[in-house]
Amino acid sequence: MGDDTWVQLFPHHFKKAYPYPSFNVKDLHTVDNGCIEHLLPSLYEEDWDVLIAHFLGVDHAGHILGVDSLPMIEKLEQYNGILEKVIDVLGSQSGQGGLHENTFLLVMGDHGQTINGDHGGGSAEEVETSIFAMGFKKSPTSIPSEFDTSSCEINLDQKNTCISTIQQLDFAVTVSALLGVPFPFGSIGRVSPELYALGAGTWNLESTNGDNSQNHSKEEEWMQNYCNVLCINSWQVKRYIDVYSASSVIGFSLKDLSYISDIYAQAEEIGSCSFKNSLLYNESSNSLLPALRRQIDTYFNFLLSVAELARSKWTEFNLQMMAVGLGILFFSLLIHFLAIKRITNPYGISLFPSGDSEVSIRLIIAYSVVVIRACSFLSNSYILGEGKVAIFLLATTAIFKLRYSVKRKMMLIEAIIFLLLIIILRFTIEVGLSKQAMTSQFMSAHSSWMLEIALGHPIWIHIAEIIPILALMLLAYLLYMTMISSSSWGICKYAVLGTSLCYILIAVHWASESTIWSSVPMLQGIGKNSIPRIVPRIIYVMGLGQLLLLVFGQLFNKERALNSKKSLVIKTVAMLSAYSSTVIILSGKQGPLIALASITGGYCIMRLDNIEQDPKDNTAGALTFDPLSVTQWSLLATCLFFSTGHWCAFDGVRYGAAFIGFDEFVLVRQAFLLTIETFGFSHILPVFGLPFLAARQYLMGQTEQDGKLLFLQLSQIYLMYGFITATTVTATIICVTVHRRHLMVWGLFAPKFVFDVAGSVLTDILICLAWLYYLGREDGTKLSTQ
Amino acid sequence: MSITQAFLIHLICGVGLAVGFWVAHNVYSINLVSHPSHTLRLILVVETPIVILLYSCFRQNPDNCSYLKAVVRAILGLPVGALINTFGAIALGAPVGIQYLPKTINWSLLMSLFTFVPAASVFGSSWADWHRIFAHTKPNRTVEYMICIPAHAAIIGAWFGAWPMPLDWEKPWQEWPICVSYGAMVGYLVGIVASLGLALLRGRQQHNKGD
Repeated sequence: MGDDTWVQLFPHHFKKAYPYPSFNVKDLHTVDNGCIEHLLPSLYEEDWDVLIAHFLGVDHAGHILGVDSLPMIEKLEQYNGILEKVIDVLGSQSGQGGLHENTFLLVMGDHGQTINGDHGGGSAEEVETSIFAMGFKKSPTSIPSEFDTSSCEINLDQKNTCISTIQQLDFAVTVSALLGVPFPFGSIGRVSPELYALGAGTWNLESTNGDNSQNHSKEEEWMQNYCNVLCINSWQVKRYIDVYSASSVIGFSLKDLSYISDIYAQAEEIGSCSFKNSLLYNESSNSLLPALRRQIDTYFNFLLSVAELARSKWTEFNLQMMAVGLGILFFSLLIHFLAIKRITNPYGISLFPSGDSEVSIRLIIAYSVVVIRACSFLSNSYILGEGKVAIFLLATTAIFKLRYSVKRKMMLIEAIIFLLLIIILRFTIEVGLSKQAMTSQFMSAHSSWMLEIALGHPIWIHIAEIIPILALMLLAYLLYMTMISSSSWGICKYAVLGTSLCYILIAVHWASESTIWSSVPMLQGIGKNSIPRIVPRIIYVMGLGQLLLLVFGQLFNKERALNSKKSLVIKTVAMLSAYSSTVIILSGKQGPLIALASITGGYCIMRLDNIEQDPKDNTAGALTFDPLSVTQWSLLATCLFFSTGHWCAFDGVRYGAAFIGFDEFVLVRQAFLLTIETFGFSHILPVFGLPFLAARQYLMGQTEQDGKLLFLQLSQIYLMYGFITATTVTATIICVTVHRRHLMVWGLFAPKFVFDVAGSVLTDILICLAWLYYLGREDGTKLSTQ
Repeated sequence: MSITQAFLIHLICGVGLAVGFWVAHNVYSINLVSHPSHTLRLILVVETPIVILLYSCFRQNPDNCSYLKAVVRAILGLPVGALINTFGAIALGAPVGIQYLPKTINWSLLMSLFTFVPAASVFGSSWADWHRIFAHTKPNRTVEYMICIPAHAAIIGAWFGAWPMPLDWEKPWQEWPICVSYGAMVGYLVGIVASLGLALLRGRQQHNKGD
């Protein structure tokens, strides 16, 4: 009776259940009154073996009103009164043959409280709680003194009270031993001697063996009994450790395991469970106490060693390794910073051009935005709403760029389009957040009004099917326009043509799944089963082929391109298009729309790049430096991650995407596809698209520039992007280290850590690959002549 | 325009805000946390005439433009500024929905009063001055300091005021637009003080140059 969580956890286990709703933290009395109503009458009934009464008022009073408040004191007094009544009832029925002759009463808390009434952390007052145990049959003697671990003191009423402790780890197995049920498989506790001794039934176990039980004292009998129980306990723990070590990926070290096995073997040598002892029993009438004590001590040794080993492996963090990892990250940040400085300064025409203060303002804003985002990981609410934080910061930078564009009186349209795009992205992120809230235990679900609109009229369904296909057509058209705008495409032309073909195939694939296709009687039979399998595989193969084509084309391209920037743009477009078809088909129907959004966003960022700088000051050969654009690029990539309906938790991965085109599960292949789907729009495409920022001036129609300068500009941009990613990852790691004992560490902070680190490793690999691909042919000869 | 005039104007504007709060608290027994929409409207009602009438006295061209014209263009500027502020707020993440509409309207009108209306009444449609004040942020005269700095400070204050919104403290003032309004008003008051200080400084500089 009491908290309804019991019934939710164990729906079919209770013969009678009286659950009461427990979520309303302001309600102190419903659950308790329900308990009281049923508790005392149940004590007179015969039909139960275990009775659980879970009172909740104290917990709620602590949370809401505080530890010292009046309602808390009243609650405690109320419980005191109930306890007295229960003990009266049980005591009156505990005589020989009474209803409660063998009843054992346990009163305890499931956790403690801090001074604020909260719990969930790891402080002593939260994890320590009290337990009151009472056996109603009088035990023959008290527990043997060597097992008594209590510490005594004189309390306020001048009475001597002795309190001992028991680990929560030992609770399950002790109660199982008292009840006589099998010990839980995964428990690694030991049967607590003090609680076990309280159970009077444990003292009389041997009394049925008529003949020679009188020879040995009651104490010896009990110790015999306890020794048997410990033997079973040790066997159970050993079995668990063996099974765990055999089946776990990272188990205990061999040294530890052999140490434990040695102790167990030692214990077994001395004597095994009851069978052998009863032989000893018959042989000699000498006191068995010393032998028993030795055996019990060995068992204790074994069980305590296992518990200690488990604690050190499973609950303690290796702070040394954490410090080493953090040190490596800080070192890498330093190297990034020095490299950026070295690139910017020696050719240092432009770190502080005429607009001295303006560059430093942009620098400050860019770094502040990155630092603010990094610091936001320290709070769990900001991590849960990470998409909103990213959009907030991106909009802030966009407003700054708008101000600059108003100042220079150019690119106004691009600035406004960027803000409109941000508003659209913000709504898609909110849709994603409401999906996350539905399954998350930390977020409350407010259903998005947009989802309510979306599910409804059939016309919306048709529109929702046509729009992605139209978007694909638009993408193909844009590719075509880019292609015909220049003539020196070379081998990249084939890659781009391949992508257009892929888009058509994707459109066919989605059209075949739509309701319109199945409503046309002619097309109904065609390709219902085969298209969903064939088309994705063709696209994956083509994507791979395009990549190989581009890479080998790069390797064997003997001619120096006439115009380095032009060739860079062409290579970028080709590379992006090679990836895009795979990413789009894996992302589903939202893919082309997100692709269009990212193209628009990237275009606006590129156009607004370096807008602060007066064009007249831009002498030929100047290395421009706009950290704000790179920051915007990185923030846009983050926002795209959340816009595609992902979030940094394991239920935020769209597992269905791994099976597009395949029905069976092959680990490597499916994992590869899943990685591309999760990180496609947020890591792969942004990293390969960064050269657009460097090649900005080509697209603006300005004069051609030296290949060397392009090399430096691109390197600078990649280094800045890597620096931003490294900063956010370092912040995540610091935050996880600080919060390692937080309530939500495994539900929230650790998954975020995993995603961030995976994304960062992927970003670094991609930056290296992209750098090699785009600049690998720029040999150092031009540099060395300088 | 002298420093004392600026000081008086800012004092009256600040007092106007306080009067708005006082009326809300004592006459209607509401405050910003319990009834944000009504309180904001009340503050608007008190503050709008003060701001418009006071700033119109210092219009750019007193010869070409009559007092009435300045007042009219300030009144016209109010909704325009509100639209711009709403646009910015939605881009930054302000909630959108029918239930938020009255709060958003009142909030944006108040923000427009802090940011847009003074400039509208003083400068009107002279784009060059707007450009200089808001894009370049180079105010010259005292009145320009009075317009430019409180406006920027109110926006920055509102930006910081949005930070507590996603946190899970479950306090009533974390709703939209309460903490943002508090941030904006704090920013506005800080901006008032800063603008007086800077105008004083600049005045002293020019005085030294002149000597």
